[in-house]
Amino acid sequence: MKLTIDQRWDLVDRIAKETVEVGTYKPGLRDAVADATVRPAIGIPFAIAVLYGFWTFFGEFAGLFTDGFFVRIFGTHWIPFLGEKLAGLPDWAFTILVGDRAVFAEGFGGDPCFAAGGILTTGLFMPFGIVLWAVLALFLMLAVLEDTGYLPRLASLVDSVLHKIGLHGFAIVPTLVSLGCNVPGVTACRPLETRKQRFMMIALLGVFVPCGAQIGMMEELVPELIGWVFLTLAIGYLGFGWVLNKVWPGESPEILMDMPPYQAPVWSNVLRKTWNRTRHFLFVAVPFVLLGCLIVMVLYATGAMDALASALQPFLMAVFGVPAEATPSLVVGFLRKDLAIGLLPIEAMTTYQVFKSVVLLTIYFPCLATFAMLLRELNWKEILYTLGFLVVTILVFGSILNLIGMAGGW
Amino acid sequence: MNKVLLMGQANVGKSVFFNRLAGANVTVSNYPGTSVDFDKGRMLLEGKHVDLIDVPGTFSLQPKDRAEEVAVKMLEQEKDTVVICVIDASKVERGLYLALEIIERGYPVIVALNMWDTAKNAKVKTDVKKLEQILGVPVVPTVATTSEGFKELVSRMREAAPVAIEEITKSVGGDKSETHN
Repeated sequence: MKLTIDQRWDLVDRIAKETVEVGTYKPGLRDAVADATVRPAIGIPFAIAVLYGFWTFFGEFAGLFTDGFFVRIFGTHWIPFLGEKLAGLPDWAFTILVGDRAVFAEGFGGDPCFAAGGILTTGLFMPFGIVLWAVLALFLMLAVLEDTGYLPRLASLVDSVLHKIGLHGFAIVPTLVSLGCNVPGVTACRPLETRKQRFMMIALLGVFVPCGAQIGMMEELVPELIGWVFLTLAIGYLGFGWVLNKVWPGESPEILMDMPPYQAPVWSNVLRKTWNRTRHFLFVAVPFVLLGCLIVMVLYATGAMDALASALQPFLMAVFGVPAEATPSLVVGFLRKDLAIGLLPIEAMTTYQVFKSVVLLTIYFPCLATFAMLLRELNWKEILYTLGFLVVTILVFGSILNLIGMAGGW
Repeated sequence: MNKVLLMGQANVGKSVFFNRLAGANVTVSNYPGTSVDFDKGRMLLEGKHVDLIDVPGTFSLQPKDRAEEVAVKMLEQEKDTVVICVIDASKVERGLYLALEIIERGYPVIVALNMWDTAKNAKVKTDVKKLEQILGVPVVPTVATTSEGFKELVSRMREAAPVAIEEITKSVGGDKSETHN
């Protein structure tokens, strides 16, 4: 026999009446903290402090490993070592595995870690020297925030702002997760109840939220520009969210969120979560980074890259105002955005062009792993709209940024 | 019986609970056709290795989002299984609702009153013996973060048996819901 909902609740009531005794409860410090952190006057400064701590930890942790160890290991030992040991290889094999011989002969234009370009040099340096540590730091911080019970409180704080664009405060959770990696970010949209909310959220994530791997590369290559990049992306996120909410049919109902009590995280749990996500990253990302390096070097070795660059140049220059040297970035942007940022011809561009390129690469097509997630989570109509949305966004953003640049004479 | 399902609502400490039971050999799997992931591990039950599955958190068996749909599907496709229903000991009513739903579907259930320490601090006291008598299934207070109560939980899993919901209704004085509806 099955009970109706009313009958079942009635039964629950009667069982509870006989077994559960609720005494008088004196709120303690934990409750005071729990309460204060959702009140705007204390909660907002607290949230800013938490996010600032988050960011600082990220920068310090990733910087320690990348600059402290891996730039040196790769730059002064591994890459010159390979250049010597594999010097006997035929040109095409040397180009693909180690990098451009001319660059080696000239003693590297810039940092050998990036200038080399081969699979065994730059191809290994980017995922293991930079991105791994950035992603690890972000996942660790996220796991801590999750397990302490802070995330729902952050969500309730930003609720009123996000309501203006038809999203719920809960949207902050998939957004933060996406800063680690867009793939679990898309998964984190599942608790959103209506298709409209899920579609909007996934589209905004895929287009505007850079992943940990990209952020790690930005932090390494253009640390002075990160603030501007984030500001621009945030404007796009909120602006386009507002537009999408107006034009896309459907409802955005309130979501009822559970507010768990604050709890000290269980470290074994935090570490296991961090490890699982990082492991997933290694399996998904590293092969694509290597594949991307392979494609780029093959295109170089065969001369196809030059042909592609001169074909794309008028378009790139006219719409986005970036030089043809940015072509390799665009080619691998489909695979991995971290690699794309690593391949940006920073020396050949003005600061403003670099800024513009980093923003556009973030908006650019979601990486292959994220795209695979979109295929699973959205229907065909939604995917086509997401891609259409992406093209519109990149053209609008590209043109606006280009105009601003022209107006400013940068 | 070769499978144990771990079910419960969100924020009842289910993932820590799972890690306590599953030990080290955990794999993350994907429910076919969806992007819903779930953890799967092995636990030792009376000298035998059985699969332990961490079902996504669900408020009830009437799903309202995709993760909850998967939770219901995972329950429905397992016939030969024991369900550990994890309840937040300071919000017993909420958890009981889910537990009753699972019992109604004929599954052998064992109830874990988790976060027992927090409930104690909040001065919520549950009469475990009485709850056991009423439900007819084992009820064990646990604290997953310190693994308190886990030995008892595992040793009493074989007591879990299907219970007719009528028996439960009877033990609290029959169905009276009609009278005040």
